Amino acid sequence: MERLFFLIFASVAVVSALCVVLFRNPVRSALALMLCLLQVACVFVLLRSPFLAVVQVFVYVGAVMVLFLFVVMILDIRQAELEAFFPPRNRWLMYAIIPVITFEFLLVILGTSFEGFGPGAGGETKVEVIGRALFTEYLLPFEVVSVLLLVAMVGAIVMAKKRWD
Amino acid sequence: MSAGKYMEKKRECGIRDIFRRTFFIDFIKGLMVTLRYNLSKSVTVRYPDTEKWVPFPRYRGVHTLNRDEKGRELCVACELCARACPTKCITVVPMEDDTGRGIADRVAKVWKVDLVRCLFCGYCEDACPTFALRLGKDYERACTDVSCALLDREELLGPAEVPWSFDGGVVVGARFERGKGGIKVAADLSDEKSPWFERQ
Amino acid sequence: MLDSALILELAIMFIKVFVVGSVLFALPIPLTWLERKVAGHIQVRLGPFRVGPHGVLQPLADMIKMLLKEDIVPEKADKWLFRLAPIMTLVPTFTVFVAIPFGDKVRIPFTGREVALYISDMNVAVLYILAISGLGIYGIIFGGWASNSKYALLGGLRSAAQMISYEVAMSFAVIGVVMLSNSLSLVEIVKSQSGGFLHWNFFYLPVGPLWFIIFIIAGFAETNRIPFDMPEDEGSLGAGYHVEYSGMRFAYYMLAEYVAMVTVSVLAVIFFFGGWNPPFNLPFHLTGETAMFVNGGWNAEFLNLLAAVIPLFWFAGKVAVFIYSFMWIRFTLPRYRYDQLMRIGWRVLIPLSMVNILVTGFMRI
Repeated sequence: MERLFFLIFASVAVVSALCVVLFRNPVRSALALMLCLLQVACVFVLLRSPFLAVVQVFVYVGAVMVLFLFVVMILDIRQAELEAFFPPRNRWLMYAIIPVITFEFLLVILGTSFEGFGPGAGGETKVEVIGRALFTEYLLPFEVVSVLLLVAMVGAIVMAKKRWD
Repeated sequence: MSAGKYMEKKRECGIRDIFRRTFFIDFIKGLMVTLRYNLSKSVTVRYPDTEKWVPFPRYRGVHTLNRDEKGRELCVACELCARACPTKCITVVPMEDDTGRGIADRVAKVWKVDLVRCLFCGYCEDACPTFALRLGKDYERACTDVSCALLDREELLGPAEVPWSFDGGVVVGARFERGKGGIKVAADLSDEKSPWFERQ
Repeated sequence: MLDSALILELAIMFIKVFVVGSVLFALPIPLTWLERKVAGHIQVRLGPFRVGPHGVLQPLADMIKMLLKEDIVPEKADKWLFRLAPIMTLVPTFTVFVAIPFGDKVRIPFTGREVALYISDMNVAVLYILAISGLGIYGIIFGGWASNSKYALLGGLRSAAQMISYEVAMSFAVIGVVMLSNSLSLVEIVKSQSGGFLHWNFFYLPVGPLWFIIFIIAGFAETNRIPFDMPEDEGSLGAGYHVEYSGMRFAYYMLAEYVAMVTVSVLAVIFFFGGWNPPFNLPFHLTGETAMFVNGGWNAEFLNLLAAVIPLFWFAGKVAVFIYSFMWIRFTLPRYRYDQLMRIGWRVLIPLSMVNILVTGFMRI
């Protein structure tokens, strides 16, 4: 039963991820990306971590994708559709990078033994457990990430604001 | 409250103003106003279904041709109404008749009004020397065929739904009737109701 | 593998989903009528009056009209997305109700079987509801974009910006509730407010009312109701994001809007007004929790039934008050300007909720 569900979610996720890249229409790509993120959230549910699933939906699908769409919708779609898949000027760069990335991914995937992955023991992960871990064991990375996000935000505001007067 | 006073009040930034903003006093006041209206009686005249407005005597509705107490036609076909009409919508053709149909020996053979062109200004009424022509209280002239806007003598002489003896300016009970000849709102003049401006 | 207990469990689950789903589908029928009646009476009119006694059948007449209307898909629209968008609004608004509890566990008379008056009690229900209700915005954005009309597009853009701005304030308000009740499960949140109205989160002075105000303002903005109905601002956008929709697809948007309104009312009741808990400790303790009588005897079964039904009435009554106030406010306030909307969201609600989190934190230590 669980395996069946996993197969459904995983295959839809992979197909929709391909669609993100292959669709010419950016809004449809965004829709496909949304679907992909939702499938990943479902996989998280299968892995007994509903908190992560819900946060995935909340943050990525609910907020980040809306911002993506906000930008994409202002674009001229017809122009975007006409454009070549890769910009011709830098095409050689793309051709150089893609094999490198592919090789890297393969190395990581093949080099990992997937033991110990899968649903954690002892049922669903409680929110309290996650909170405790974040604020004790992973306190430093947590705070560093927060500061990083704050810096990014301040930077974005400074760049967006043209003049100070 | 004058506009100047309002502006003055807006700039106020004292302790009362802060209190007002913190506890949404203005918002609650507004809500109370709408709540009061919500609970008050509605002023709707339930027109086609159960009520109907009968206009004041000076209302200028559809033309009526009238008779005197003896039942003789008051119209002497002088054609003054047709002359006075700014849109030329009245047609009068006189004829001789001494059988006592009219108050004089000159009566109207044809008296037609085209309500499509009529603008209900009442000049014809003013021009009429015998008070034969008066604009009545009827205002329901909607129909599906233009021919119903052409009224001739027989129709205009017929008894009006609201007689001249009824003063008007009131809402009366009514019944919505759907018949073969179209729809009609039959007024019941004995059933007088309070007008909308006295409801609330 | 499939034994009778499991089948029974599944059957009960299906019945619950069916009941909740059909109630939600049917609810907009009385609500549209009520809204038009409230509008009428606030404007000292009568509202619909001709179809049925006091116009109660008006929504049915409207529904027939909607069904018979031509379903227009604009020539230059993105047709696939245009057809998909109303469904995309509808699905999340209904899915939210999976996590919403309408009452506690009740005992069905003469069977001794306990049934929970909720479909699922997740331990992350609060986050789930925020996440899923946030998805409803996609129908509006895609509908606005796919229509290929400038008014619809502007409506979609506005609703996207509005949604992002107010989701932050909404989440803060919900965090406040979680801090007050110490749980992310809605059932636990309601249980923590039992025992008289002074235990309700709203009366956790001084932060409770402030959280409620933040929550309800954000809720109005998220449901696109007046005074925050920028995406469908008739004055400047025609009808906003659904300007190109007609017939049943338009009705889907309306349906979603009403269900979203019910969702926010239900959440306000659960978060701040004690859910199905009565405001006073009633003499017979007719709450779901205390009236679990043992099986046997007419009297006990009758009390069991009362214990099952009365909390539902409390819940429905409180929700009804909120739904009424949604309509009441709609016909009291004018619409905000777009920049005012953004200012309230970012400069008032978010700083206020940050301060409030600090205060609540200190109070809860």
